[in-house]
Amino acid sequence: MKMTKIYEGSHQWIMFGRDEGKPNNIIDTNQYVVRTANRCLLLDPGGAELFAPMMAAVLHHAPVDQITDLFASHQDPDVISSLGLWDQALTNAKLHAPAIWEGFLRHYSCESIEYVPIPDNGGTIKLESVELQIIPAHYLHSPGNFHVYDPQAKILMSGDVGAAIEGPDSPVFVDNFAAHVEKMRYWHQRWMPSNQAKRVWIERVRNLDIDILAPQHGRMFKGDDVKRFLDWFDALQVGIAV
Amino acid sequence: MTNQTKSQFIAVASITSELSAVMVVAKEISLAAANAKAIAFRAGDKAKGFQPITDFINELAKETIELVTNINIYALVLYRLTVDEFQKTAAYNKFELAAKMAEGAVYAKSMQEPVDHARLSMQDCQRQFKRDVSQLLGQLEAVMHHARAARVIAANSRIEASQAGEYLQSLQAVAESVDKAAHTIHDNVQRCRIALSIYRNS
Repeated sequence: MKMTKIYEGSHQWIMFGRDEGKPNNIIDTNQYVVRTANRCLLLDPGGAELFAPMMAAVLHHAPVDQITDLFASHQDPDVISSLGLWDQALTNAKLHAPAIWEGFLRHYSCESIEYVPIPDNGGTIKLESVELQIIPAHYLHSPGNFHVYDPQAKILMSGDVGAAIEGPDSPVFVDNFAAHVEKMRYWHQRWMPSNQAKRVWIERVRNLDIDILAPQHGRMFKGDDVKRFLDWFDALQVGIAV
Repeated sequence: MTNQTKSQFIAVASITSELSAVMVVAKEISLAAANAKAIAFRAGDKAKGFQPITDFINELAKETIELVTNINIYALVLYRLTVDEFQKTAAYNKFELAAKMAEGAVYAKSMQEPVDHARLSMQDCQRQFKRDVSQLLGQLEAVMHHARAARVIAANSRIEASQAGEYLQSLQAVAESVDKAAHTIHDNVQRCRIALSIYRNS
């Protein structure tokens, strides 16, 4: 599993992905970790197939007992089907996930982990002195969907927004936006169901100061590419399957 | 999922299926008992010896239904335990893999506690499963005992039926139906026992 530190300040952000041991027939995912002095938050920790390499990778940065928080942007299996395993491995952890998905996500087994339901208007996750904002992103693509913004690190973890299907050796950052567009187009047109939801999200996100936009699949966007992505997404018609 | 786990799931699920057939048959015996009672009543003195037998058949059918109802509840518990064991075993294997993959990581040692805990949980489940299988086999033996008793009653019924004059044929039919039902119960329960017995000492 490739590990890339994308922010280092009072706390750290680490991106995990491009797992070379991943079975070919499951989608590649990016996982993110926010590490403070004594706590650790896993953002979209991944599917059950990914549990062992993900846990092994996290152990380079934090001991098991300091993995205190998980966040699931939505209910998809590539996001959180590992929940039942984390539930058995972690003795004192919380899962921050959309309130409307609680009864569904508990099918993955959530006995020892405390489910912290996120209301539709979002909220915050406090990790020691770091306060992360939970940004509503409903219908992008899931009916109950959230992203995480760190105002200190200026990183927006954007779930499936900004995603692209890439090969295992692809770089972790977009290096040529124009060339990258074609890797994203069908994904966004097909997976994102609502132009209205898209516009509301873009309006909300344009008010945030973002250095890195970090999706759950493919490459991250940094610097001017963040604005380029928002402009491109703004102009894109989505929901093409109907 | 390993072949052993698959077989375990199938064995536990097959108990419910076999026992639902036993339940149907036990209800048939109960009906046969009611039928026999009516015939014996009409036959009066000619079927005097048959009358207490009908009560006995009815009692046996009721007890069998009760036993099977309890076993079905128990089988459901066993099924849940099988699911639990499967999940705990899967977790243990993943944890061991994670620990192996984390070799050389700064915090690799912190994985030892979850691995140990998962192993103990898995072993607890396996022990509990064996204990529950033993108890279930004991309950199935009780049903077998009832089936054997029903066959003895069927034999006695045939003797008593032979004294019943014009009611001979009707009462013999009752005896036949009890005997046939007892056979079916015996065979179905025996299949459950065979399916489960390999897990008692595995």
